[in-house]
Amino acid sequence: MTPDAKENLASVPAQDPGGDAPRRRTSILVLDDEPIVCKRLKPFFQKAGYEVEAFNQPLEALARIETRRFDVVITDLKMEGLDGLSFLGKVKALHPDTDVILITGFATMETARQSFRKGVFDCVAKPFKLAELLDGVRRIEKERGLSS
Amino acid sequence: MKLYDLKDMLIRLASGLVGGLRGRPPVPFSVLYKKFKGILERHNAILELIGDMGDKLGGDYVYDRQYILDSCERLGDQVFKLISDLNLLCQGKNVALFAAFERIQQRVRAELAGRRVLSRTDHILPLSELTHDLADEGGNKMASLGDIRNILGFPTPQGFVITAGAYFEVMERAGLRKTAAETVQALCDHDGEGLEEKARVLRQAVLTMPLPRELRRSIERAVEKLTELTAKPGDGEPLFAVRSSAWDEDSESSFAGMYETVLGVGAAGILDAYRQVLASLFCEEALRYRLHHGLCGEEPAMAVGVMPMVDALVSGGLYTYAPLREQEQAMVVSAAWGLGKPIVDGTAETDTYILLREPPHDIVSSDIAEKSTRLALDKGGGTRTVPVAEAERGAPCLTPAQLALLAKTAMTLEHFFKRPLDVEWALTPDGALTVLQARPLSIRPADSCARTEDAAVAAKGAKVLLSGRGITAMGGVSAGPVHLVTEGEDPAGFPYGAVLVARHSSPRFAKVMPKCRGIITDVGSATGHMATIARELRVPTLVQTGSATRTLREGQEITLDADHQVVYEGLVEALCQFELVREDVFEESWEYRTLKRVLKHISPLTLLDPKSEGFTPEACRTFHDIARYVHQRSVDKLTSLAETHKDIRESAPRQLITRLPLGLTVIDVEGGLSPAAAAGGADPGAEPGEADIACRPLRALMEGLNASGMWDTNPVAVDMGSFMSSVTRTLGAEASHPTRMGRNLAVISREYLNLHLRLGYHFTVVDAFIGGAMNDNAIAFRFMGGVTDLSRRSRRATLIAAILERSDFLVEVKGDMVTGRIKKHPTRIMLDKMFLIGALIGYTRQLDAKLDTDGDVALHQDIFLQQFTALRETRE
Repeated sequence: MTPDAKENLASVPAQDPGGDAPRRRTSILVLDDEPIVCKRLKPFFQKAGYEVEAFNQPLEALARIETRRFDVVITDLKMEGLDGLSFLGKVKALHPDTDVILITGFATMETARQSFRKGVFDCVAKPFKLAELLDGVRRIEKERGLSS
Repeated sequence: MKLYDLKDMLIRLASGLVGGLRGRPPVPFSVLYKKFKGILERHNAILELIGDMGDKLGGDYVYDRQYILDSCERLGDQVFKLISDLNLLCQGKNVALFAAFERIQQRVRAELAGRRVLSRTDHILPLSELTHDLADEGGNKMASLGDIRNILGFPTPQGFVITAGAYFEVMERAGLRKTAAETVQALCDHDGEGLEEKARVLRQAVLTMPLPRELRRSIERAVEKLTELTAKPGDGEPLFAVRSSAWDEDSESSFAGMYETVLGVGAAGILDAYRQVLASLFCEEALRYRLHHGLCGEEPAMAVGVMPMVDALVSGGLYTYAPLREQEQAMVVSAAWGLGKPIVDGTAETDTYILLREPPHDIVSSDIAEKSTRLALDKGGGTRTVPVAEAERGAPCLTPAQLALLAKTAMTLEHFFKRPLDVEWALTPDGALTVLQARPLSIRPADSCARTEDAAVAAKGAKVLLSGRGITAMGGVSAGPVHLVTEGEDPAGFPYGAVLVARHSSPRFAKVMPKCRGIITDVGSATGHMATIARELRVPTLVQTGSATRTLREGQEITLDADHQVVYEGLVEALCQFELVREDVFEESWEYRTLKRVLKHISPLTLLDPKSEGFTPEACRTFHDIARYVHQRSVDKLTSLAETHKDIRESAPRQLITRLPLGLTVIDVEGGLSPAAAAGGADPGAEPGEADIACRPLRALMEGLNASGMWDTNPVAVDMGSFMSSVTRTLGAEASHPTRMGRNLAVISREYLNLHLRLGYHFTVVDAFIGGAMNDNAIAFRFMGGVTDLSRRSRRATLIAAILERSDFLVEVKGDMVTGRIKKHPTRIMLDKMFLIGALIGYTRQLDAKLDTDGDVALHQDIFLQQFTALRETRE
């Protein structure tokens, strides 16, 4: 457990308890060729009130972003077929205001740092805490003025 | 350190040892002490790593295969080095410990390579030893029953399981194991072509195969033993239920109801029934299921449970989540007189009760049927249908109290298995409730997407009481009223279905955990003892929230979402539902199952009592065991070194000037005194005072001891001089240099204290390490009294034991000797315990003449704790 992650999370305002008129939910696309990652992230974000689509196949995800825009894309860096950075490029080209969080293995952290130059919003290293990722998504929402 | 370096070092060490015998100087104490500290650090790192891996089962993390491989590698490396460290400290080789390491390492690697390692090779396992940890041996269904009986503590029938290992051997010997695997594979390759015929041939072969003689004998013996245990005089021939318990059976929607269960089997028919159940592994339905769910590559295996038939007065089923449109929050109970088979088959008239899922589980409706017949055990063997007595036909089978008990039991099971359940149960003639089986109830509403959205909306509207604070010790969602458990309070009366909220986490909560819906603490660790138990019992648990006890009120209804570290006001039903109906249960993923299987060889602690004969390297079955063994041996070693090492015997001891005339001699190993005082060692005039104590445990103890004199309001006048007069008497000239016993001596470092203190006729030994990593924090306290008569002495021991116990110590009383141990709490709490020990030493010193009756024990316990609480508050 990293206390920092906790503190960050605590400092972000929690869900708005007042609940004005129902606003559009923040949408998230998850792409990871490890099925376990999708299986975990999808219900987690759904339960936290997000609209989520999850993909194991990069090409399927690619087809999907061509048909619609997501507020947030969470993608693994290393995948068979298409790597996370290329996917990032496509997402940014199609939807410049979509923010991308990159999931990286321990060994690829250096690549991840380089990816910041390509417009990645945040990186998390596996294994990561669900709360860390939620923290990242909440920061995106804050910066973009999205409701959570 | 590389392996060859280590070997080299061992060789050098061994020769060093021999050299020592020849009169070479021994290793200086300070060097050994550093090694000891190194062991503590590594021990801690290992426990952290084990805890981290265990945390991943808790549900807070996302990880993949690579994580599991890396962690096992790192852990193996650390454990190996720990053993090497111990060898250096004790200056001996420990071949047996290395051998134990090697054994465990091999098992871990086999699990990672995908070969299931059956940790028990026995062909028969009693149900009393079975839990989900042995699910590979006992199969899912029997392992679940084992959980219900052995973890949750509900009554189930007794019984045993013929293991999956036995199945493999039987099939192997009959030459069928390969055929079976190939048939399954071929069916998949050819998309089920000729399935019917192939399945029939395979089943026929299994039904007629010979069983190895030893297995037959083992089963016969197990049946005899079971009969001895359960048969009552006057019973006819004992009858058994022979139940399937296959791998993956009863996991999510898997193979439910496809395999055979044979009821009412006499002892002579058990082997045939066994074959019959094995053969059902290859029934058409199951093979087709395998085909459609891509399970072709997995070798099937069947364990088989054997249990005596329960002579039921009433039997029935219970769905914890009613599949009724308008009663979605309800559970349904069906019940009838006699045995349960016709109810399960749906051929009997049954009473139907609908109860609310929420405590106290009000009865929504009772539909009482006319029950004209019942199934009964036949004394001659088998079962038969008999008429129900006229008066009982239209009477309800269950009383409201029985329904309430049933509902509570079923909901506790649901919370444990994290799924709606179908529970089979029976009431025996003596009125006791027995759980026969619990299997997941598949509820996948067609509108599950809509439900998901509802969940999000409902959670959004709910008022958030706590958010983003705390560590998830066990994930999950649950709801219930808050019950605050105060410090020192016995939680025994904890109300069923409440959420436990407390300042500190404590293993004391273990006994009420099955009743808890969730646990929230202000302070605590995700790797502590309580967290481990919470994970074992799958109670959603959030620790280290900082302020839960201040924010949450007694009786307040809350919903705890431990996954997201949020506490909502009220019952967020949609969130709870979401938890129950989600499709992919993390617990069933390959990653989760593999990590869990690997952890079986890593985290259980089987080596418990250091004083038992079984506390040996050979007995180490897990990496945790090895760590525990090494830790204990190194603490023993250091304690004995502190008493016998040449450096300490010969070093110039320093007299500590204290407010109370303790006559305490200190030996500072490292940083136990302020630098100034330590530097003044050579100067005979510069004796260190209390202000110079840098040793944190000693400092806290001295504070408690000094404070103890301030709060006796009773006539036993406490004149500080006479208070300690007996102390000074023990410190004659000969005592100014420490000798073996009876001296007042403290061996100290900044974190370590080994104290031998004689005050009057009380003799106290304290061994404490406080201030390093939390997992290393440990206090052992031993108290012996003397002089006064035996009953007073035992009262004094009772008093001390009670106070220590209320303060979370693990306590052992032998005669008038009391030993209390406490470990792994945060430093602040541990120092508080030292303060308590100091106060306790002082307090009991004043008590000598006061414990006239047993009632005085309780009185003084209260007085002490009240005064101590007040004292502690002023101190804070």
